[in-house]
Amino acid sequence: MRTLVFAGRNFRELLRDPLSYIFCLGFPVIMLIIMSIVNKSIPAEAGMTIFNIENLSSGIAVFGMTFIMLFTALQISKDRCGAFLTRLYASPMKPSEFITGYTLPIIIIAIVQCIITYIASFIISLILGKAISISGIFISGFVLIPPEVMFIGFGLLFGSLFNDKSAPALCSIVITLSCILGGIWMDIENLSGGLKKICEVLPFYHAVRIGRMSLNGVYDDFGKSMLIVCIYAVLIYMISTVTFSVKMQKEQK
Amino acid sequence: MNAVEIKNLTKKFGEKTAVNGISLEIKVGELFGLLGINGAGKTTTLRILSCLSKATSGEAFIYGKSVSENASEVKQMINISTQETAVAPNLTVRENLIFIAGIYGYSKSERIKKADKMIEDFSLSEVSGKKAKLLSGGWQRRLSIAMALITEPKVLFLDEPTLGLDVLARRELWSIISKLKGRITIILTTHYLEEAEALSDRIAIMTDGNIKALGTAQELKDSAGCEKFEDAFIKIAGRSI
Repeated sequence: MRTLVFAGRNFRELLRDPLSYIFCLGFPVIMLIIMSIVNKSIPAEAGMTIFNIENLSSGIAVFGMTFIMLFTALQISKDRCGAFLTRLYASPMKPSEFITGYTLPIIIIAIVQCIITYIASFIISLILGKAISISGIFISGFVLIPPEVMFIGFGLLFGSLFNDKSAPALCSIVITLSCILGGIWMDIENLSGGLKKICEVLPFYHAVRIGRMSLNGVYDDFGKSMLIVCIYAVLIYMISTVTFSVKMQKEQK
Repeated sequence: MNAVEIKNLTKKFGEKTAVNGISLEIKVGELFGLLGINGAGKTTTLRILSCLSKATSGEAFIYGKSVSENASEVKQMINISTQETAVAPNLTVRENLIFIAGIYGYSKSERIKKADKMIEDFSLSEVSGKKAKLLSGGWQRRLSIAMALITEPKVLFLDEPTLGLDVLARRELWSIISKLKGRITIILTTHYLEEAEALSDRIAIMTDGNIKALGTAQELKDSAGCEKFEDAFIKIAGRSI
């Protein structure tokens, strides 16, 4: 019950922060619209397809998750830096209840964000006259849950380790990395050499890829990408959970 | 049974000894003042008693339960109001109260009932629907203490509860704290000597992690041979003007 009470508080805190709406919900939709307009200006001869709505929407969905990471990190680091968590540390709450209480509302917001992004994508695709598949949207929304957990894990990790000034800076590094190496703003498929290898080792490219593949119904090497994302999600979430617990105990020494 | 028993409690941070083998007994319902200059070990002692920090050696008991061995049982019996205001900024006053009651396991109806009682007891009704971050320092501190009391703790730790408040807000909090006397055991740390003198049944003066003197405000003044409590404190704490 304590977990739900704490999750309720965190949910309210997030919903009452106007930045949540701007960055978590509004910004991805605005980017989707802007990049669709930009794409219209790119001549077909350029052969650039990553900004086509069927590719762009999954990229933006993953891009939005990076802001979820930022908000997770900010909420935890702010709580840690103030006296609010001290009060809760003196209460009967356990580390696992803190972790779950932070994760539950964030994952709800991440899912809502993903739904809004895909709804906006669908409307844009209708306007552009090349409607994306509704079943693809559902599958894509579902397969993007592991990347959501992974980015929440990153947020938990940075929020547990750093203060509210340093955590956003580290998050912006991950945001930049995931945008470039994830293939959101850059066509990774046509790359080769070392940079492509780096992209393949990191989870961001695979997160975008599983979203795109499931949306478009093309499942070439889907399992491999999904496995890589799941491994990263589990690992990062586990590391962040352990880190939060250790930090909580350390702060009580 | 004593509400609090401290036996040879020591806390070291590396080479520095913050609390140096102190022993103390605090009676049920007593308002106990812990005084000392910065770095005397007051807050560290409070943190150990409230399970926020672990002692290097020695032991402390709350109603017979060890703070190190039975921390979860102790945590159900205590609550704390810290130096900084510990409220959820985006929740309203009422939501903050309901939230804390929920964390301590009260049912939904009990939470609402208790929050209403706290709002009435602490005269918070005019701000009950306001977000905590929009309240003045005095109101926030009042809310913070109400949040500590809503769980009906047997022992309440008040760590410099009036720090940074104006005279009026401070006096209002004094009146609130005075009303709690005898009902629950309170351990109060403060830098305001007149606050400790006005509120405390007994006072311990700490310096360099040790308890230098212990007694009522009058006993401390008598033992120091001073008329004013401030003079007595300076004499005992070993500082000259």
